[in-house]
This record gives sequence, C-alpha cells and structure tokens, in this order.
Amino acid sequence: MKAILPQARLKARSPELGLRATSFAFILVMVVIPMAVILQDGFKEGAAEFWRQVTLPVAAHAIILTLWTSALMTVINAVMGLLTAFVLVRYAFPGKAILNAIVDLPLAIPTLVTGVMLVILYGPQQALGLFLNQELGFQVIFAPPGIVLALLFITFPFVVRTIQPVLLDLDQQQEHAAATLGARRWTIFRRIIFPALALPTFSGSLLSFARAVGEFGAVVIVAGNIPFKSQTAAVYVLGAVESENRLAASAVSIVLIAISLVVILITNRLLSRRRGSQ
Amino acid sequence: MNKRFAALALIALSLALAACGQSQPDDSDSTGGTSADEVNLVLAAYTTPREAFAEIIPLFQASWLAETGQTVTFEESYQGSGAQSRAVVEGFEADIVALSLEADVIRIQEAGLLTHDWKAVGADGIMSTSIVAFAVRAGNPLGIADWDDLAAEGVEVLTPNPATSGGAMWNVLALYGAALRGHVDGVPEGDPQAAFEFLKAVLGNVLVMDDSARDSITNYEQGIGAVAITYENEVLVGQQAGTDYELVIPTSTILIQNPVAVVDAYVDEHGTREAAEAFVEFLFTPAAQEVFSRFGLRSIDPQVAAATADQYPPVADLFTIDFFGGWPQARENIFGESGVFNRAIQEVQGQ
Repeated sequence: MKAILPQARLKARSPELGLRATSFAFILVMVVIPMAVILQDGFKEGAAEFWRQVTLPVAAHAIILTLWTSALMTVINAVMGLLTAFVLVRYAFPGKAILNAIVDLPLAIPTLVTGVMLVILYGPQQALGLFLNQELGFQVIFAPPGIVLALLFITFPFVVRTIQPVLLDLDQQQEHAAATLGARRWTIFRRIIFPALALPTFSGSLLSFARAVGEFGAVVIVAGNIPFKSQTAAVYVLGAVESENRLAASAVSIVLIAISLVVILITNRLLSRRRGSQ
Repeated sequence: MNKRFAALALIALSLALAACGQSQPDDSDSTGGTSADEVNLVLAAYTTPREAFAEIIPLFQASWLAETGQTVTFEESYQGSGAQSRAVVEGFEADIVALSLEADVIRIQEAGLLTHDWKAVGADGIMSTSIVAFAVRAGNPLGIADWDDLAAEGVEVLTPNPATSGGAMWNVLALYGAALRGHVDGVPEGDPQAAFEFLKAVLGNVLVMDDSARDSITNYEQGIGAVAITYENEVLVGQQAGTDYELVIPTSTILIQNPVAVVDAYVDEHGTREAAEAFVEFLFTPAAQEVFSRFGLRSIDPQVAAATADQYPPVADLFTIDFFGGWPQARENIFGESGVFNRAIQEVQGQ
C-alpha cells in the first residue's frame, strides 16, 4: 500500500521513460522471449497434441504429485514462516542475529546438496530414517514426505522474509491500547497482528509455491523418481528432454508456468481488492 | 541523469547479448584446429572410460609424435552419453565421440554430421564391451544368483531411469531379453506376456530410479537397496576402489557395446581428420585394449580377451542388441511411448 505511492508520483514525469524502456527491454529479453519459445514449442503440433501430452497418465501423475506436495509444503511454510518471523522480530534472545542469518542460508546452498543432506539424515540406512521407518512405518526418503521436506527447506526464507519487514513496520500502539483494555495476547495476535500479516504471509507462501513447483535439484535426489509413484513434473521434464521428447517437456513446462501465473494473478487481485477497501 | 543511466544500461545490455551471441563461433575457432607441428582434438565421451582415456591418450600422443613429428593436444569432455550426443548435434564441435550405446551415434548420423561407415573401423566401431550384471552386498546375504531372485518379495532393487540413462536401457533389455530367451525360472521361452509379467515383478521392487547409472551406483554405495542392476565394469572398478559389494553374473545377459566414431563434419571443418582417425584406430590396438581391460571393460581384442579371461568369466547365454532387432527397433518397441517398459511401469505403479 505504501509501495504504490512512489509509483504514482513517477507516472507523470517523462525523463523516466528511458528507464522504463530499459526495464521493459530487459524483462522482454530475459523473461518474456524465453517463455514465448517454450510456449511456441509446446504448441507446435497443435492444441490437441499439447493436451494429449499433458494428459498422458505418466505426465498427469507427475503434475498432480508436484502440485499436492508443493501445496502441502506451502501450508506448512505459511504457518511456520509466520511463527519464525514473529519470533525473530518481537523477541530478544541470545543468538538471535545468528538465527536470523541462518534463515537465508537455504538460498545459497545448491539444491542438489540439500537433497544429499536429506538422504544422509532421513535415508533408509540412517538412524533417524530407520527409526521412522521401522518404529512408525513412515518412509521419508524416496517417497512424497521427502519431497515436501526438500521443498520446505529450499523455500523457507520466502515466507519469513516477506513477513519480517511488515512486522517491523507495524505500529505497536494498537497492541498496547488493546492490552490496556484487557485483551489477551492471543486476541491481540488474532485481531490486530494477524490481519496486518495475512497478506505478506499469503504472498510469501505463493512465492514459495511457485518456486517449489519447478524445483529439480533436491527433488531428483530424494524423490525416488519412479513414474506413477514418486516422479515429479520437473523430473519428468528431464526424462522427456533426455529421450528427445521436447514436445512433452515443453507441454508439461507450460502447465507449470500457467499454474504459477494463475496463482500470482489471484494474489495480485486479492491485494488490489484490499487496497480498494481501505 | 536517469536518462543517461538508462542509455548506459541499454548499451551494456546489448553488448552483453552481442557477446553471448558471438561466443560460440569464437570457441570453435579456438578449439579444433591444426598446424604443421601441432593438432588439437576434441573428444566427447560418456563418463565410464574417463580413467581409461587418461592412460590411453598419453600412449597415443607418444606414438603419433614418433610417427609424424606432430604434437597432439586433447580437449576432453565427459558427460552422460545421451546428453553428450545431443550436445554434438546441437553444435558442440567434437572431432571424436565415444558413447555408451549405438543409438547415440545414430542420432549424430541422422543430423548429417557423421557420414562415413563408422562400423567399418576397428571391431565394428565398438571400442569396448561389458555386460549387465548385479552388485550385491558383501557376502550376498540374500543369496541372489540370477534374474528371478530380483522379483522376490521385498528385495530392494536399484536401476536408473531409461528415459535419462543409457545404462538403464541396457538393464531393462538384459532383464526382458533373459526372460524372453527362457532363462528366468517360471518364464517359458518366447512368451512375451510372461516376460512382461516378470519385468513388472522386478520393476515393482525398484526403490529408486536415478538419472544415471553412476548416480545409481553411488546411491548403492551409500547403503541404499539390496541389489543394483549395473554394468560389470562399474562393480569391478568399485571393487578396485575398495568397496565391499560383490559381482553376480546372471545366466543370461546382454553384451553392452560402446561405440566410437569420428564426426566427419567437425574434423573436416577443423582439418583434423587424419589425427582423429588415427586416434580411433589406436583405440583398437592391443596397447589401448589392455588399458580398457584394466578398467573393468571386456576387451574386443581376442588376444587381450584371452589374457584376461580369468577376470571376465564367460556368460552362459550372452546376447546382443540384435536380439531386439537393433537399437532403432528397441527404442521404439521397448522404450517408446507405448513400449514394453512404459506399459509395465504404468501397470505396476498405477494400480
């Protein structure tokens, strides 16, 4: 809401035209044209063939697996990300600076390494993995839980880092007033803090969802990659590329892009509606 | 101020793009090439023979220098066979390709880059061979002796994904072929339906399908799975490196044949044909074959093979890709969209 103000001021001035042209050109070259190539590739044999490619049982299964694991991860991420951001902003405790820095680390770790690490931690031959498997009958690695864990690790910073600045800016006077009037902490959180954080939580979560849908490096290590069982869309795309099936690769990629686009458009719509109501 | 910044940014961007566009031709100028006393060869290979090439190349360099007075330098690239083959088709200007299966050479032929009869060179253009075999845990605790043991309840099997790995294709062909040929208990000879059911039973035991044969064996070394279907040479090299898993050779299996060829379009462009052809021929000499045999590969040279026979026991029923009518047919019938493999995996997992 604050963010749109400077934009509105810029609108009237002309010297920024060149700047805008540069950024449009950049987006065009770096993002739009490559996407257009994928689009053209996926539809080169017509819409019917495109549809056949994405509804092939093996492709459809891979897409569905990707979507539900990403969705589950997003829900967990939203809750835990909100919690983490809250703790990091509102509480003082020893080691806070270090913890704060650790949150960003997943972004710097090659996702392949993330996968290897998870196998070492939860793999069927490891103490923890063995315990979960034998005592609780729960297989983590080479099964969907492993995919969810990998996605969580990789996208964890997205939610925390979108909530943190909003929380920092939040005026605490309302909370103090509520506390003075006798509101309990949970009520304050539910009625005052959460409404302000709902949007950043939501948009951060969607960002993590969009990131997760395309994840490859970690997933290929932990998933097991068995078609119809544990093969995600990105791994299926690799298989299609490797076996000369560019059409299938592009078609499934288009589905992933389209899903991300719809998700982002929905977020933007919600955001603008909120702006209107205030 | 902003205008100037924008203009600078635009210029920077267009320069960067121009540089990207130009980098490829520049590369090709610097790679291939020849002069009176020096010639540079670009070798594009799959990953298995990397260590063997590290020994063979110096041998060839010495022999070529003695013979012609010319120094040969090599630029070597190693990656998965399929990826390597596609890279060559898409403009990676390799003078020589050494790949894991013929289908990957055929792709380069179909792109019009390889025009000579590569099978007329050396031993039908096949520089090394191996067989599909099993790696089992030390002491073979499950008593795995042949294909039918892989279908037993609860045996965790590793094999890579045929969509991404040439090695996996060999594995599936070995398994399905052994069943079709009547060498699997309970599967009558020449009964495609029974062989298909057997394939399903083994696929049902597969725990992980890795991208490549190498990833698969790496996972196995980390303690995952009870049996890995793999190449004999992977197990032998692993044992040389000190791992404790054991090799089991099934009664019936497929002979893995690794082709090598000169890429006509690129050697002619670089003017390196003479040295490239000499290198390929050198790979078939006993000196080079002896190196391959030390790295776990079965030699195609009869004398070297005889000398290393105790290391490479004979297989009761050894068949080749010809049993499936050659690679193009195998790709279509076994690995095509509605091929045997895809139908089997769908029936196993889709229930």
